[in-house]
Amino acid sequence: MNRFLPFEWIAATRFLKEGAVQTLLIITGVAVGVGVVVFMSALLSGLQGDFLKRMFSSQAQIVLQPPDKIARPLRTDGDAIVLATVIKPSQRLRSIDQWQKVRDITRTIPGILTVSPMASGAAFAVKGGADKSISLMGVDPAVYFSIVDIPGKLTAGMARLNVGDILIGIQLASDLGVAVNDKLRITTASGASQTLTITGIFDLGNRGANQRNTYVALHTAQTLLGLTGGVTSIDVTVKDVYAAEDIAQLITAATGVEADSWIKTNADFFSFINSQNMSNAAIRIFVSLSVAFGIASVLVVSVVQRSKEIGILRAMGASRGQMLRVFLIQGGLVGFLGSLLGSSLGWAILAVWRDYARHADGTPLFTIVMEPSLVLLAMLLATVTGVAAAILPAMRAARLEPVVAIRG
Amino acid sequence: MAEPVLTLEGIRKVYNPGTAVATEVLHGIDFSLAAGEFCAIIGPSGSGKSTLLNIIGLLDRPTDGRLLIGARDTAQLSDKMLTALRGEAIGFVFQYHYLITAFTALENVMMPLLVGRGFPNPEMARTAERLLDEVGLLPWRDAKVGNLSGGQQQRVAVARALARRPSIVLADEPTGNLDTKSADAVFELMREVNRRDGTSFLIVTHNLRLADRCDRVVEVVDGRIVSDRKAAAGPIPA
Repeated sequence: MNRFLPFEWIAATRFLKEGAVQTLLIITGVAVGVGVVVFMSALLSGLQGDFLKRMFSSQAQIVLQPPDKIARPLRTDGDAIVLATVIKPSQRLRSIDQWQKVRDITRTIPGILTVSPMASGAAFAVKGGADKSISLMGVDPAVYFSIVDIPGKLTAGMARLNVGDILIGIQLASDLGVAVNDKLRITTASGASQTLTITGIFDLGNRGANQRNTYVALHTAQTLLGLTGGVTSIDVTVKDVYAAEDIAQLITAATGVEADSWIKTNADFFSFINSQNMSNAAIRIFVSLSVAFGIASVLVVSVVQRSKEIGILRAMGASRGQMLRVFLIQGGLVGFLGSLLGSSLGWAILAVWRDYARHADGTPLFTIVMEPSLVLLAMLLATVTGVAAAILPAMRAARLEPVVAIRG
Repeated sequence: MAEPVLTLEGIRKVYNPGTAVATEVLHGIDFSLAAGEFCAIIGPSGSGKSTLLNIIGLLDRPTDGRLLIGARDTAQLSDKMLTALRGEAIGFVFQYHYLITAFTALENVMMPLLVGRGFPNPEMARTAERLLDEVGLLPWRDAKVGNLSGGQQQRVAVARALARRPSIVLADEPTGNLDTKSADAVFELMREVNRRDGTSFLIVTHNLRLADRCDRVVEVVDGRIVSDRKAAAGPIPA
């Protein structure tokens, strides 16, 4: 007997050891349940993480934009009623009012990672006789590249954006037949025009984006788009992507500028993620329930089988509390050991999954990250479930009257 | 006469009191057991012997009357205090050994001490070893109790009953399941402990031959003590 273990632990472990087959069966049952939960959770969070990563590799989580221009109906003095059809005016490119101040206020809101101003608008890229419509995006590379990792997506050249430099997509480069260090003439609708040097060619993994997106220095875009000193939007990234909508509302409240989060602009996608999370939670609950019932039924049988031993222990002075704890500990131990085995099982299935779920070129479909916190959580949950499942059998053991138990 | 270790005054026990099926099984029992006494309780089946033993063993409460363990009145004690007192003052030996099969012989003997203290210690193991030695089973100290013979198991049970040096050992048909030879061995063992340590024994038995080898024989019939006499054979000379 271990000197450092109290009576309850010694009795609980011995009882489990004595009923080895029973114990092994229920531990296996718990392990299968925990394995499924670990595997499902890792798979879903991997899938979601991958979706979100792809999504946010080319867009910010919150975008601040100037309000739309609206026409105000005429008002007359007195009681006259004016019937008016309000036609929305066309939206010309406008800057966010006092955007530097808006940017500075936004930076002070907690939970925000980066704040990146952008001046963007439509333009044409002209090379020789060919011209292509493009989306001209003027950015501050120091901050913008931490939102969209252009340097990581370069296929040629480098991510330098001085005045007079431009980065273009591989599709546009191919359409216009240009390469790094070539000159490209950019013309906007207002007639402004400038010749820029291609410093890098990138691949965003999307044909449309590779054809249309071009990046220039903020100042270059401001000049070309006639937005002297102005920006058309401010991109914001946040630490917790699921808190984006709350933070967007905070920004609007603090700055008065309309802030749209990805949750609002991608409502369908967000509800898809939400329903995935809910079904994952439902699976967890049902698995926990079946684990709990399994443990409880085994312990109920154990209490019945051992009622005489419980009786004699009570007769020799064991308290009701001690008997209660002997069975609670058994429930907890079964849950804990089952979750230990189950987590390993989950790992093993994930490892096999990683080997099989691959693209044709051998790269994994998506990254599955086995987070230790997930395993710890599963183990904690299973142990607590085990203890909870043992409450009824343990109370039954504690309530046994020694006389009744011994006479049986 | 030595101080009584146990005193019963007007003990009554009614099952299902206040109902149509109320059954009175003990009708005002007065009894006391002196320190060092070795007493047999005999009587036909259903006479209330076991109920009496359960009440004395604090496993059941009387409906009426006073029960004193030593000088301590048990009427006012809570369930928890009764459990603690039971552990300290009373040792049990039953007809069936009721050893805990998940433990070895030595550990079974240690069990009352472990239950009382909470944590095991080397002193407990030494006490248990000494007791196992006294019942002649030290070589089987690490044996699983399931592998011992019936007589050996009952001797382990006797050793266990003595672990906390109780003032009273209550034995309910302790030899009822044993062959004559083993029964004699177990009886002699208890007699020897009684003589050597002065532990009081109260033994419920059907075996009149054994009863006659006690100091005193109390006969219970229909919930009443009908005779209380010195045993025919008298105490076996030391």
